[in-house]
Amino acid sequence: MVTRVLLSRFLPGLAALGLVTAVVARPAGAPGSNTTGIGAQGQWSLPAGDLSATRYSGLGQISRDNVKGLRPVWTFSTGVLGGHEGQPLMVNGTMYVVTPYPNALYAFDLSREGYPLKWKYRPEVNPQAIGIACCDAINRGAVYAGGKVIYNLLDGYTVAVDAATGREAWKTKIADMGQGETTPMAPFVAGNRVLVGPSGGEFGIYGWVKGLDLETGKIMWTGYSSGPDSSMLVRAGGFKPFYDKGSELGQSSWPAGAWKYGGIPAWGWFSYDPGLDLVYYGTGNPSPYNAEQRPGDNKWSNSVLARRPSDGSLVWAYQFTPHDNWDFDAVAEMVLADLTIAGKQRKVLVHFDKNGFAYTIDRATGEVLVAAPFTPTTWAKRIDLTTGRPVVDSSKVTGASRGNVKSICPSLEGGKSPASPAAYSPRTGLFYASSNNMCMDFETWQTTHIAGTPYIGANTPYQPGAGGNLGTLIAWDAAAGRKIWEIKEPFPVWSGSLATAGDLVFYGTLDGWFKAADARTGAILWKQKVGSGVVGSPISYTGPDGRQYIAVFAGIGGDWFLLAGDVRSDDPADVRPPADFAPDLARHTSQGGMVWIFGL
Amino acid sequence: MSTATKLWPGLLLGTLVAAACNRPAPDPPSSGLNAGATAGGGSAVPLSVRYQGWVNAGGIAPAGGEYKNPFAGDARVAEQGGKAFTAMNCDGCHGVGATGWVGPSLVDGRWRYGGSDGELFQSIYYGRPRGMPAFGGALSPDGIWGIVTWIRSTPPPADVPTEAWK
Repeated sequence: MVTRVLLSRFLPGLAALGLVTAVVARPAGAPGSNTTGIGAQGQWSLPAGDLSATRYSGLGQISRDNVKGLRPVWTFSTGVLGGHEGQPLMVNGTMYVVTPYPNALYAFDLSREGYPLKWKYRPEVNPQAIGIACCDAINRGAVYAGGKVIYNLLDGYTVAVDAATGREAWKTKIADMGQGETTPMAPFVAGNRVLVGPSGGEFGIYGWVKGLDLETGKIMWTGYSSGPDSSMLVRAGGFKPFYDKGSELGQSSWPAGAWKYGGIPAWGWFSYDPGLDLVYYGTGNPSPYNAEQRPGDNKWSNSVLARRPSDGSLVWAYQFTPHDNWDFDAVAEMVLADLTIAGKQRKVLVHFDKNGFAYTIDRATGEVLVAAPFTPTTWAKRIDLTTGRPVVDSSKVTGASRGNVKSICPSLEGGKSPASPAAYSPRTGLFYASSNNMCMDFETWQTTHIAGTPYIGANTPYQPGAGGNLGTLIAWDAAAGRKIWEIKEPFPVWSGSLATAGDLVFYGTLDGWFKAADARTGAILWKQKVGSGVVGSPISYTGPDGRQYIAVFAGIGGDWFLLAGDVRSDDPADVRPPADFAPDLARHTSQGGMVWIFGL
Repeated sequence: MSTATKLWPGLLLGTLVAAACNRPAPDPPSSGLNAGATAGGGSAVPLSVRYQGWVNAGGIAPAGGEYKNPFAGDARVAEQGGKAFTAMNCDGCHGVGATGWVGPSLVDGRWRYGGSDGELFQSIYYGRPRGMPAFGGALSPDGIWGIVTWIRSTPPPADVPTEAWK
């Protein structure tokens, strides 16, 4: 693999003739019916660009041949310092930007010089949310549907704003900060349902996803992540997990009642297959981190859930990391694609888990077809495809009685952060994913649930993984479960990816670069310093002038606000040393939200 | 008995809560504005907020309660307070060893809301506006003083405001 990677990076011509060509030759070329459309029309209305969460743009004006001429055409300071983990939207010549707390929404008129504001919407948001949000007051973006821009306020509300006027259409309380719930995730729309979920896996919440009516904001259903079948919206005969049998699994896999404060948030990304009428999303970690306080599988933590959007019915579920010992949330995106596996065309979802394995799963049934590590992984040897369960290395099992367990890879930041969604190009048949090369020690202790306070009980210092680089961007063949190329980065890669029909992959780095790579070889073709580390995701669209543009947020934050205390720029009363595993990060960046637009 | 002690019967805080009955109340406020107010485990707590380091218009400090830590310098209480810091999940926000996480560092010698014993007490008892929960309902005043005493027991490092790279 190393040889291939080197070849691809330094001899792109050779690589194109060899391995990568073979990958492209696979009949993965035709994307599923639901992946076409939105991106190709030059709009970007959903967080991931399309219902399949591919983050693929069918626009190809900006290509490998001309990307060297890409230049900034516009910038805008959001005036906000929290982690800009989302992405702009572009619909009908208007760019919509939602900021981290205090969650202002800006609408820019792209048809006029300088892109002046059409309107801005400034909601009232309870500042207490800043400290109830576990890991910086971040936001992951908005969704456009039915003439409304819909997003979550950090303090537990979903708002819908009229896209033309900026007037509030509805506002619905969805979460309870008193229980440790906050709401930085980007809502998703499937049909006439707005799907939302909370953060709070570090606060012992009782996790859920809600389906709101798109027109009115009324909560139509709440599907909990655990507990009684009735609360999980398991309907008679309708729930068929591929690897599990029986009923009331959401209770029987826990000590009595522990699911009531067992965490399992849903703060990641959704996707939807209209043909199967299923929405897919991942669930987060069980609480607390001390796994000895919750014997059992703790279903359905760290799982992918498939639900009917209309009534929330749970149709299947698969648990990536049963009885989580390592805070391996599974809230990362489920990218839908149609791939040829073992000679057979399969409708799959592809998921890069925090636990270091990439999974290719039959999205109709939940059967795992391929599971392979995409980053160094020590906690499990492999995934047993007959049972769907990881083969755990017993020396990496954690718990209050086990002391300080050393050198667990990946770290709980994830082999890939769920905050950094992958992209899929139907042209190359490859998935492009950010990755972290970090390991951790894990020491945990008995802890008590006190509503509204953290429910963690662990100390988990990180170390760099082998190789001297803390991150990579990888190209992944999900049909075979193998890495095709990688770009080494000095720091963890925490941005999402964008793949385009120009055979480019765009991504950003924590040290404040925004880069374009050749989607077939991984060669860096262009880069620009953008003022602050990038933890958001790029988009592409066609402007009112008919030209292709690329847009991205800069604005480091999220876990890096916590880990690298010296990137903080706004609080003279809170001065911390650098992260010991990344002491140079603050040399290259500090906080500060900015919207960038690039064009030829 | 406080909620926290009920939740966590093994906690040495129980001792502190029980001891509260025999301890003198915090000093009465310097004016009569807040005299007689009580909260938590029975100790009198002046219901005022006063920040020592702030600018006072005309140079005149407003009337406000004076808080006195009844355990100041008590190493045994400090040790119990350190355990309470973990038991009450303070470390989940402020980090193990209070070195800072989503909540600010409490060991860098710098303070958003003042660093005197009384100001620390108020921060814990009443909470603060950017996400610090109020623990005055869940923890007795003496339990809070224990945590204050623990924070105080760790001298802050020399404040070196410069970070330089080679």
